[in-house]
Order: sequence, then C-alpha cells, then structure tokens
Amino acid sequence: MDDMNKTEETPNNPSRRNFIKGVIAAGATVSSASYLFRTNAAGQTQTASAPGSVERLISLSVNGQERRVDVMKQETLAQTLRYKLGLTGTKLGCDRAECGACTVLIDDVPHYACSVLTHTVRTKKIVTIEGLASPEGTLHPVQQGVVDEQGFQCAFCMPGFVMSAVGYLKTNPNPTREQLAHGVSGNLCRCQDYDKILTALMKGAENLRSA
Amino acid sequence: MADKLIGQNYTTPDIVAKVTGKAKYAEDFRVDGMLFAKLLLSPLPHARVKNIDTSAALAMPGVKAIVTVDDLPSPVAGASLGEGITASTLSERGLTMEPMYHGEPILAVAAVDELTAAEAIEKIEIEYEPLPFAVDPVESLRPGSANARTQGNVWMRPPAAPASADGKPAPPPRPDVLELKWTADDFANAPAGHLPLGKPADEWVVGDIDAGFKEAALVLERTWVGNNTSHQVLEPRSAMAYWQNGKLFLHAGTQSTVQTVPNVARWVGIKPEEVVLISEYTGGGFGSRIPGYIAMAIPALLSKKAQAPVMMRITREEEHYIGRARPALHSRCKVGFAKDGRVTAVDLFVVTENGPFDQVGDGRSAGDTISLSYQPKNMRWRGVNVLTNTPPRGAQRAPGGMQGQAIMEPILAEAARKLGVDEVEIHKINAPVGKATFGAANQRGQRQYTTSAFVREALDRGRELFNWDEKKARSGKRVGSKVRGSGVAVSAYSAGSVGFDGLLIVRPDGKVQFQSGIGNLGTHAIIDVHRVAAQIMGVPWDQCEVVWGNTSKHLPWTCASGGSQTTHAMTRAAHAVGTRAVQMIQEVAAKAKGGSPAAYKVADGKVSGQGGTMTLAQIGQKAIELGGIYDGHEAPDGVNAWTKTSVSALAGQGLVVAAKDDYKRDGQTRSFVVGFAEVEVDVETGKYTILEYAAVADVGTVINPRSLKGQTFGGSMLGIGHATSQKWVYDQHYGVPLAKRFHYSKPPSILDAPQKYEWAALDLPDPETPVGARGIGEPPVGAGCCAILNALAAAVGDDAFRRMPVQADIILTALEAGHAVHEPLTANI
Amino acid sequence: MAVIRDMMPVFELFQPASIDEALNLLDAHQGDVWVLGGGMDSFDWLKDRTKRVSTVVDLSQVGELRGIKEANGGLEIGAMTTLTEVVHHPAVQAKFRILAEAAEVVASPQIRNQATLGGNVSQDTRCWYYRSGWSCYRAGGNICYADTPTAINREHAILQQDRCVAVSPSDTAPALVALDAEFVIRSKGGERVVKAEDYFLGPQIDITHMTVLRPGELLTAIRIPATWANAQFYWEKVRDRNVWDFPLVNVASAMKLSGTTISDVRIAVGAVAARPLRLTAVEAATKGKPRTEETASAAGELAIQGATPLRYNAYKIPLMRNLVKRAIRGNAQATT
Repeated sequence: MDDMNKTEETPNNPSRRNFIKGVIAAGATVSSASYLFRTNAAGQTQTASAPGSVERLISLSVNGQERRVDVMKQETLAQTLRYKLGLTGTKLGCDRAECGACTVLIDDVPHYACSVLTHTVRTKKIVTIEGLASPEGTLHPVQQGVVDEQGFQCAFCMPGFVMSAVGYLKTNPNPTREQLAHGVSGNLCRCQDYDKILTALMKGAENLRSA
Repeated sequence: MADKLIGQNYTTPDIVAKVTGKAKYAEDFRVDGMLFAKLLLSPLPHARVKNIDTSAALAMPGVKAIVTVDDLPSPVAGASLGEGITASTLSERGLTMEPMYHGEPILAVAAVDELTAAEAIEKIEIEYEPLPFAVDPVESLRPGSANARTQGNVWMRPPAAPASADGKPAPPPRPDVLELKWTADDFANAPAGHLPLGKPADEWVVGDIDAGFKEAALVLERTWVGNNTSHQVLEPRSAMAYWQNGKLFLHAGTQSTVQTVPNVARWVGIKPEEVVLISEYTGGGFGSRIPGYIAMAIPALLSKKAQAPVMMRITREEEHYIGRARPALHSRCKVGFAKDGRVTAVDLFVVTENGPFDQVGDGRSAGDTISLSYQPKNMRWRGVNVLTNTPPRGAQRAPGGMQGQAIMEPILAEAARKLGVDEVEIHKINAPVGKATFGAANQRGQRQYTTSAFVREALDRGRELFNWDEKKARSGKRVGSKVRGSGVAVSAYSAGSVGFDGLLIVRPDGKVQFQSGIGNLGTHAIIDVHRVAAQIMGVPWDQCEVVWGNTSKHLPWTCASGGSQTTHAMTRAAHAVGTRAVQMIQEVAAKAKGGSPAAYKVADGKVSGQGGTMTLAQIGQKAIELGGIYDGHEAPDGVNAWTKTSVSALAGQGLVVAAKDDYKRDGQTRSFVVGFAEVEVDVETGKYTILEYAAVADVGTVINPRSLKGQTFGGSMLGIGHATSQKWVYDQHYGVPLAKRFHYSKPPSILDAPQKYEWAALDLPDPETPVGARGIGEPPVGAGCCAILNALAAAVGDDAFRRMPVQADIILTALEAGHAVHEPLTANI
Repeated sequence: MAVIRDMMPVFELFQPASIDEALNLLDAHQGDVWVLGGGMDSFDWLKDRTKRVSTVVDLSQVGELRGIKEANGGLEIGAMTTLTEVVHHPAVQAKFRILAEAAEVVASPQIRNQATLGGNVSQDTRCWYYRSGWSCYRAGGNICYADTPTAINREHAILQQDRCVAVSPSDTAPALVALDAEFVIRSKGGERVVKAEDYFLGPQIDITHMTVLRPGELLTAIRIPATWANAQFYWEKVRDRNVWDFPLVNVASAMKLSGTTISDVRIAVGAVAARPLRLTAVEAATKGKPRTEETASAAGELAIQGATPLRYNAYKIPLMRNLVKRAIRGNAQATT
C-alpha cells in the first residue's frame, strides 16, 4: 500500500490533472442563477394567482408577537430571526443541522432554525431563547436551573440546549438524567461540559415541576 | 468577617446574559450600513495563483470591495505568534497568492448582503498553476516524494556556520524550511508495522539509554499513528470591524482581550493604540484563538477599503480550514522496564504533521511530557516536523502533551500486565514527586523541575473513588458478547505563568471595580481570580464589579488564556493588587484620620483604626481628593507599560490600585490529572460504551470547585473524543479533506460521554505561588484520552489497536484477525 | 467560476395545499424543480450550492401527506409524517416495533422532529466525495473517486458495487423492507405502488438515482401490510457516535416462529450497498430451521457471500455477518 505510485495515471486511476480541471470548474455546469438579492429581487416574482405561490411579506408569530417581515423564498428561520428580527440569541454554529446552537421551538417542538425555511412556519408559533423569560425579566425555570448550577462554559451552545430542554420537558416533565440526555442529544457542546449541563438542566426540570 | 471566597461556588455575573440570549458574541453585533464578507478558498492543496479576474464581481450592484494579499501589510519576521511560535516570511498571511492547502483563503469580497457576496465569489475567475503537494508526513519523507512547500518539507536548523576567527562557535542558526528525505534503506529496514527511523531534525538525550535498556527486564516498542483534530469551537471565528476617528473597532472572540491587540495591529498594519477590541463573549477557544486569529484582519481591511462596517461570518466548513487543529504525531517509542515496573529508558521518535506554516511545538512537548510524567532517568527524544498541505495547526488543550501521553500510556499499561504489576502501582512507581525534573538539559547542564507534584496522592485517591480493584477484577472477562475493561492514566501539563498585573478601583460609590483583561471563553477564570483580591481586601462580593471585554475600558496587562496560565498567573496578580490595595486603603485612612497606616484594619468593606472608621466609598472619595498615586494620576512603578497606560486613563475615578506579580517561583508550574475509565466492548460489533470515568485533579488550591469539576470533565472529554472518534480524513491522491462535516469528523455528543462521572481535587496548595492555585485547562485531556485507551486494551488486548481514534471498525477487524490490522503508517484515513 | 459552499441560491418557492396541486406544479416545472420534504437532505445540497434549481415545491402545507392511518390490520403512513410521529405512534409501537426503533436512532431529536419518513427513504447517499460536489459517476461523470486505490472508503459498499460504491444511508429503509412495505407513488398520470425492496435502485440499474422516483412523481405514502404485525423483530444500527451519525451497518428482521422453528422470516441490511439489501438467500436457508446459535451463525456466513471489501471497509463484512447472526438469533446473548 505504502509504495503505491501516486502519480501513475491510468484509466482506473483518475489523474490529478483531470481532477484539478474538475474542481476548478465545479459548479460551472449548474445553472448560473443571476445575482438577485434584497427586496426587489427580480427572480422572485409575485405570482399571487398561481396555486401554491408564496408572498414575501408575511406575518410571523415570534415569542408571542406578530412580526411583519419580508422574507426571501430561500431564507432560513435562523437568518430571519438573527438578521431581520434582531433575535441574535439563536446562534449559528454549523448551519447544517449538526450542532443544535440554533434550536428554537416551533409549536412547542424543538427544531434547528438553520434548517427550516421561514416560509414554512408562517402559521406556527415560534419561541426563541429571548421569549422564555417573562417580560419583567423573571427567568424561565429551566433558565433558572442553569443559573442555579452555573451550567455551561462558553455558552455558545447554551440557548440551543435550553430550548431543547424546554421542548423535551413538555413531553416528559419528570425525566431521569439519562432520558434528559437523550432529550437534548441533538445539541453539541465543544467545551464538552456535558456533566454540568445535565446537572443544570435537571435542576431546571425540577424548578419547572415546582413552578 | 469578610466572605471566604476562595474555594466557594458562586454565580458568575455574566450567566444571566448568556442564558437569556442577550450575551453578544462577535456575529451578534449590528452596525448601520454593515456590509458582509465572504471568502474565496483555494480548491487545490498547493498552487500558484496566476491570474485573478474580479471584473464581473466588481461590476455587480451591491459589491463594494475586494481584498487580496496585496492589501495586507508586509509580514514581520520574528514576531511572536503566541505559544512559542515565531513569525517568519513563511508564516500564514491570511490571504495568499500561493495557497498551501485546500481551503486557504485567497481573497475576500464585501457586499451589501451575504447572498450578493456569495454570488460575487462565483463570478470571480482564478487561474491556478498546480504545484506539488503532500498531505501525509511520512510519505513526504520518502526519497523522491513531493514537498509541501517549494522551499522544502521539514523545519530544521541549517548547518551551523563555521566558528569565528577567535574560535568561538557560531550561535546555532534558526530553524528553516529545508528538504529532508529519508533513504530507501531507512524505509526498507523498518520492521513490518513500524515507523521507519530516518534522520531527525532535532534531538535531545538525558542519561544513557543503552545502559537503561541493558538493565531492563522488559522492553516494548510501539509505532503509534495519531489523529489530527480540529478545535471546532462552537462559535466560528466570525468578526466584525469598522473604523471611527482613525481607530479600528473590532468585534471578535479571543483568548485574551488584551494580548490580541498587538497582534491585530500587526495583522492590519496599524499601531496598537489604534485598535479597540470588543470581545465580551467568546464561544470557545481551546487554543485556537491565542491570542486572536489572523482572519481578524480581513473584515478590518475590507472595512477600510469599502468605508463601511464589515461583518465576516465564518461558516463551519471555513472554520475547518482556518480554525486551527491539533497536529497528529506519528511515533515509534521503545521503553525499557525493570521488574517492578520502573521505567529504565525511553527512546522516542516523533514525526509531527506540521501543516504548511510555522513550526509547531507539539512533538517536543510530547517528549517533555513523557519525561515529566514517567520520570525516566534515561531518555532520548528525536523528532521531525514535516510540512503538509493541510490546514494550519495550532495549540490545542495540552498541545503535544496529550499526544505524548497517548504514545506512552498504552505501553505502560501493557508493561504492567506483562510484568504482573498493578496499573495504578506502575504509575505510582514512575510518578513525578515534588520538585521533579524533566526534559532536556540546557547548555549549563540544568534541567527544568516542577514547583510541586502530588501524583501519587492523586492515584491513591482515584483508586478509591473509582473502586479500581473491583473494576480491575472484572476486566477482560467476557459476558455474552460484551467484555469490560478498566484503565488508568496520568497526565501532566504546564499550568501557570508569572509577571502580569492586577488593576482595581475603589470607587467613590463604595464599589470595588476589578479590571479584567482575561478573555471570556467560558472557563469562569475571568471572574474567579478577582475573588482572591476581594477576599484579601475583605470586601463583600456583592460590593464588587468586574469590567471586561473591551480594551477601551482600560484593562491591565494580562496573560493569554492558553496553556492553563490564567488561574495561576492572575490569582498571583490578584494577590498582588489585593495586598497593595489594603496598604493603600490604610494609607488613605491614615491621611484622612491620622495615625499610622499599619494600625488600620481593612475588613468587611470598611477600614477602621484609631481615628475612626471609613467606608470604602469614603476611601474612594478621599483618594480622588489626594490625587497623585492614589487616584491614578501617578502610575505606580513596576507594573507593565500597558497597565500604566490604563491607570492613567482611569485616573480620578477613585482609589486606583495596580500591582504586578513579583512573587518568587522556584520551578515550572505543572498540573496533573489522573483518569480512570471503565468501558464495555461489544465484541460482535466492535462498538463500545464508556460506563464510568473518574478524575482526580492535582491543581493546587481550589478556587471555584464547580467550575473546576466542569473543566476537568470538559478537558477529559476532549481527550476522550481523540480516543474514540475525532479525526481528519484526507484523500492523499487529490490532497483534499473529506471529513469536513461534524458527522464525518465526529466530535462527541452527549450520548457518547461516560455514563457516570466521579471527581475529586486534592486541594493541596502549590508552595510556589501565594494563593496555591495552578491551572486546569490542559492536564485533563491526556488523562481522558489515555484512560479510555488503556481501558480498551484491558478489554480487548494490547495488540488490538495502534492508532487513534479507536473506532468500532478497528476493534472488530483486530478481534477477527487476532492482532491490529489497520495500516501502520497512513495518516488521516 | 470560483466555488463557495454557503448561502442557498435564489429560487422560486411554491407551497401547494394538496397532492394534486403539488403534482400540477411538478408537471408545470418539469426538469427544473426540487421537491422539498423535511429538507434535511435538500438544504445540504442547496446551501453547498452543489445542486441548483429555479423552482422548489415545498410539501409542508400538504396536510393529506401527513399522518398514520390504520387499515386492514396494517398501516398507511403519509410520506410527510415526521420520524418523531412514527416513533411515538401507538400502532407502530404496538405492532411494527422495528420501524419505531429504526426511526428513533436516526440522526438527532431535532432532525427526527422535522425529517419525514418519505424523505428518510428517499434521501441521497452520503458518500463524501459525491457530497463534495465532485463529478463522479453518480453526479453524471465517469469515475468513482471512492474506489481509487488511495480512496478513503471506510463507510462505502461491500456488496453490489458497480462503478459507484456509495451506500444507502437510511435507517428506516431496511425496516420497511423487512416489513414488506409498499410505497405509493403518484404522478399526474396516476398512481403506482412498488414493493419496498423495489423502490431502491443500485448503480447497475441507475447510477445517478437512489430510487425509482421519476420527475413529476411524488412518494405519497408507505403502506405496511398486516402480514408481519407483532412478529419477532430485531433491529440494530451500529454507528460511530450515538447521535447524528449514519449507520456503518444496520439490520432489520421480522420472524415468525412455530415453537422454536423459524416458520417465516424477512431480513434486510443497510449501508452495505447502494440500496438496502433484502437477504433472500438467508431467508430461504433459515426457514424451517430451529432458531439457534447454529442457524444464526450459518445465516451470518451466508449473508456475506460475495462481499468484497474496498481498501478501508473490510470490517463491514464481519459486522454484517454478526448483525445478521444476531438478527436471526434474536436478543439472546452470544454464547461464544
């Protein structure tokens, strides 16, 4: 294996030269969509009459408020929340459904906001980390659990974990530690402080039950 | 009586902002007219950019500016890049016309929104001239193989210049990139499954290894293939920049608020006083942002060119390229043991996958860590850093230490089994004690030694905590398709620096305000250390405030939060400033009320003496009245220049106290963690579960128990990830990465963590620092990694694996074949 | 043209309210339309800008595609039913437990809350070369980058390789094959129903598609017959990490016993070939045999006949053998 001649070019051994051509040209064969952007994007025509067509100006229910917002067709909920509604508590850690930092509740169910088209949640109730505490500032019992136990380290993952826990606890208010770990398993922590995170979220569950 | 703060749990003042989503990380800031940057990355592992045509992109409405390497300041050779890495003309520049790895940024575009910027990137035409490349270090040592750089393939010292006329030997030249190829014989002579041993680029010896091997009752030799692992901080290195009144305002995450400023100035080509860094929250560091990162220059320069604020959101894939990674070490290690398990000799050869830029220190650090952790009297270390066309490496928690431990620990565990010595005992007999020497001798023949070490005590504590004897008794016994195994490992790493400053203000409103220059990357040290000063001053904690995260708020000269320095270095600085504050409060009281300063007692937020009692508010007011050295109008002698500037800027705000850590230290500060693990392997699938992990920390006095426990677990998990799943994958033929996504590079999830975690800290003060505290960031990593490796070997045999990570495929294949079958040399598979 | 792997390109979006509306849209935009289900596969392609379309038809508003109905002792599951809904449905739990078990170990909770059963079986392969946007056979080119002498192919195929060596990543697919499910496919022209094992295509049939779905067609429902309700089931997935990761190998079996004798059995294995493989030879050899370790071991050996490793995936052969052995043996612990 180790003495494999790496530069040999045979039909079965695709050449680097062809590969290089390939990578440089990659994407050239797909449609080169014209650059369309902002509110007057010409490609996104308002074909209101066609069945199934979509209006860009929509109302979203976010944290109990109706928000009017102009949403591109390909816009994700994370983009809308962070860049149009100013709700930057929802973090983007991977933008590929692999870390959970962007977790929000959609009709009480945890979803990755990076992987939801905003247009698909027009009729739903969205809750983000900013929507958990009361308007007067009283923390949600799960948030209070994090404070009680000094949970998390850098905390970039924290809003996502908290939203996952809040969503999970709606389905199982009295979980074991192991069950809660499964409940929040779609969230990655790179400080890897999983032990203290679980302690904090278990405290949050306890707070929620006694609230 | 004042609060006892040291050793107590508490709630950090930043946690409510974090848990409500109000905490602002770099990408959470918004400025009017903000543009968005996107990077154009090299598709090739090594190439020369022959031509760039940006005309179509620049013609797009909404595209505002493009920067290339031509917009960057000239490189400054000799500048410190942190962690002992020195800049050279071969250093990374941030943008390049000769990309050195697939994914290296070539240029950046700023446009009115992210979509426009992305579409502009696609409109840019670049002509590349492909250059030879190497993505496997051992391959690049073969005769006739390609070099990663046109200058060569290894970092090594050129031959020394001849002695001068007066006979004095010339100083050794600085290492440079040169070509080093091993001979065909070197490769042919390597036993099957072993790393060839050709010419090293560097080496050191202590004692006499031949004599050491001669007295050995058992000699084991192993080749071990390591894994490259990206830091994968959860917050990518996004940054936002704008210019105002001739100053650069930069929002970014960093591991040192203060020490990032000179780097940014150098990367952008301005003076440090022209930089304001805002870094209130940082989403993880682990060594990847010490201090700061070169990509910070990109939004800064784009902003200057476009005359508008620029946000650069870094994607996860980009983070894989520019976000730093721990270098893999590939090694051959021969170890001699006496009958009782004592290590008689170590002969180690390490090949470090260096990446394309400056020389990283992991290979050398691996040798030092082995020397420290197992105290061999006779040891030879040889190494070579081979350049590869893969993303730049950097320090990652226990850089080199973890890799060294992973080389040595499985050998130690195997020796214990072969010699019939208990694994805990073999660690104890070889453990460093007290002022333990380690590493190479300097030119005067002196070796470094530790300030203190209580590893044996930690092993005894862990044996009990983990219930080692019971778990060991069931190791290796198969029940159904399952077999359990338990392992123990020791790890060691640097844990503290000296010489930084503390700075506080006793304000006229009675609050004590601590200025913290520490980066807020989640360790809680940013707040913890100031509790030392508060305790010394006898001021209730609820009367204290900590200011951090913005260099325009005038912070003291502070260590970078890397190498586990902070808790040690900054509790010393806090001790110094707290002690100085008490003296100054006494002086102010004496001036106000009469009598001798020493007769005044400072406690409970007050100062009392013969003339009466003053509140801290009154002290703050009186200090302003007194001026001079009391309110900062005269900066104290002895503190670092940076701190002096901050003192001047804070002048008049109260009693301004600054002091430098001038405490003596005899020895090098090192911390230790011992880890114990039990795993259960399913021999029909190779899949395993970590049933329990226990760690005991020898880190001196405990400052914040809850955070220390979390750091110990988190650090251990980082090591566990190295043992179990984390890796890079490179196609050697095309020189490109394949494991760009988390589901391929595999950072551990919460369900991959040990099912049970036990913890203890010895809480034995280090005698060479006034507070007794050492750092914790690095040492758990090797313990976590190696406890798992040793537990696996106890379950499935010492011959089952010879590389990390140990995944189900490796175990199953080995169990099928009866020995390790994975390729002994190829990296990144 | 330089490459950037970020930001979904602009597309026109339609959100039909019914299957008929959706089919009309697919028909009207033929050739340049992307069907969006839960999106967990789609967004990768679109965000990486490796696949582009001018029109996306989002099925999220089509209520009739969602839900689980009990019919004739079996089930009809709408293609847009989420995996979480499948996991928790009482009838799935009660009668067809392997499907719940398979759905429950897909990816992560948030993904299961959004990913659909139709999408899980129709998703594209995860070959890291193909997913990087390289112009391989599957992408319409004329080489397989995962099958060169130096390729890294730990997670690739050991069976039925034919130029392309990618594998089916689905967890629910082998369970549905074992349950003898039927897939309901509709187009403007009408409806066709295919057996689960016939829904999936290997490269020898079609190297650029994983399933029989053709432009203009929608997978609308999956029907599970009563045949295997409450059978003896076995499900297992071996993966690296316990969250997010695709299977290294997975196995699903449904068995009927008369006494200790295996009177009937269906078994399927995933992630060893481009399609989930129903192991008919194993089924035939096992029928009428006692459910013993010996029968199970023989089944395992039979299952891997013809398996050919690539450079880095030889482990999949004993892994598949042992999983098939377990699937026949049942949950009893190994004795050897």
